[in-house]
Amino acid sequence: MSTPILEGQGISKAYGGVQALYRVNIALYPGEILGLIGPNGSGKTTLFNALSRVIPVDEGRIFFRGQDVTDARPYQMARMGLARTFQVVRVYKKMSVLENMLISRSWRGVRAWNVLRPSRRETYQRAWELLEFFRIAHLAHMPAGALSGGQRRLLELAMASMPDPEVFLLDEAMSGINPALVEEIKERIQEMRQHQGKTFLMVEHNIQFISDLCDRVVVLHQGQVLAEGTPQEITENEAVIEAYLGV
Amino acid sequence: MRAATATSASAPVSLFRRWDIWAWVGLILLAALYPLSDPTTARLLVATQIFVLITLASNWNLIGGMTGYVDFGHLTFFGIGAYTVGILMTRSKEIVFAPQLSFWQAWVFSGLAAMVFALLLGAATLRLRGPYFSIAMLATLLAMREIVRLLTPITGGGGGLDLPPELNRIEEYYLSLGLMTLSVGLMWWIRNTEFGLSLLAIREDEVGAEMRGINTTLHKTTAFALSAFLTGLVGGFWAWQNTYIDPDVVFFEPRNLEMIIAVVLGGLGTVWGPPLGAVVLYGLREFFWNRFLFAHLLGLGLMLIFVVLFLPGGLIGLMQKGRAIPLHELLRPRPAVSQEEEA
Repeated sequence: MSTPILEGQGISKAYGGVQALYRVNIALYPGEILGLIGPNGSGKTTLFNALSRVIPVDEGRIFFRGQDVTDARPYQMARMGLARTFQVVRVYKKMSVLENMLISRSWRGVRAWNVLRPSRRETYQRAWELLEFFRIAHLAHMPAGALSGGQRRLLELAMASMPDPEVFLLDEAMSGINPALVEEIKERIQEMRQHQGKTFLMVEHNIQFISDLCDRVVVLHQGQVLAEGTPQEITENEAVIEAYLGV
Repeated sequence: MRAATATSASAPVSLFRRWDIWAWVGLILLAALYPLSDPTTARLLVATQIFVLITLASNWNLIGGMTGYVDFGHLTFFGIGAYTVGILMTRSKEIVFAPQLSFWQAWVFSGLAAMVFALLLGAATLRLRGPYFSIAMLATLLAMREIVRLLTPITGGGGGLDLPPELNRIEEYYLSLGLMTLSVGLMWWIRNTEFGLSLLAIREDEVGAEMRGINTTLHKTTAFALSAFLTGLVGGFWAWQNTYIDPDVVFFEPRNLEMIIAVVLGGLGTVWGPPLGAVVLYGLREFFWNRFLFAHLLGLGLMLIFVVLFLPGGLIGLMQKGRAIPLHELLRPRPAVSQEEEA
């Protein structure tokens, strides 16, 4: 396999007396779709927060495209080509759906003084294309706070796609979205991987979704990697079954 | 992916095709012509005071309303501007062995001094969020007043400083009109740029803004410094106009309160809310002052309570629902990552 595009080596993180992650190693390869599963409280979101640099780690190093980014800030990760969604949807509720999209635009080639002008025509164009794709273009001028939970999820996905990132970290991004659209998004993800070489790391509780889409799956349990393998290997792994079902 | 729908809203609207800026230009032109009608000095002074209040409110709105950092000590920058002008016009010989400066020379430094102080202060206080930032800024204001009072050789201490009197009301009128035009125009422009959108994103969700590629430290520090620069200029102008400064008249708490009330009354985070709120507030203040001289501050306090409770979106919020953000939302403690996500 090639060099990982995103890699965490020996990541540990504790909240007070709770060890959320303990020496976790994870590697995401270019063009891969990697699933991250585990029971509630296993440390999936903490790992996402650590990899996207939203929280500092107590121990370990993080590499993005071979560069040590352990001390990088989230905006630097975003500008390097990493986009993420959150378990608790983060959209700007007081702003319109379109403004949410404009904020999420690409920072590639943007000089400091460029921000002192209105959003460019190309930014609007891309925003509308993505709103159309996620079927929320008709809501463009509504405040994001007026959207339903599922619509907010779609908006957050559209916002993550806005800067055309190389790596997507999707934290339960499909929850609350209707099954027909989930199928369409699944196809879109596969298409983006095949034609554009995009890379995905996704937390999902929908095992069928993970099995259909992912090349590999990593299972976290009590802050540690319990198992790693293809979806089939994982579903047949006794330790995983025990961790999930407690049998 | 399906093709984009070509709607009229799918492309940016040219800034100069916006009706609000032309309405503003019209009002400014009318205000510029007003002195030609030979008004009394008292009326010119009232107009100047209104322009100053609008400017202060608009400046405060940049950091408090647009960026979401509710600054309860913004008058610190007004004071720095006032004392910079006062010291450079009366004491530069004794302190820096330089010739005494004219108002125009000293005025430039008033904005710069406030901005430099904001950059230093912001490096520490802008790390705080919600009410913690507000309290830190209030403490800064109170500390600054006492520092100025103690630095008698430089600031004149409690005895204050007498500035050379000018008393040219027409000049003051046009200068304050110019300041107001600059400040409100700048807010309108910022609101319509990507920088303005980024500030609003920081206000609503700072972590989310970082994950969208926004360098939040740079953005909020720039907004804070710019706001302080403009407020410092107003302070410098006010010192020159007033011809006398001391810690109590410069760091006068009701002025601090008024700029916040004007913004909350007009509509936090909107461009036209602060000017509207400032005009209405000035009128109400005069009303309270004339009828309840000893209780007019109580009236202002009650008004702030009324607006916060019953008019959270301000006057602009009445016209455009959802445009302005309520004060209590900005004063809520905001953790970096939600508790659910930390689980």
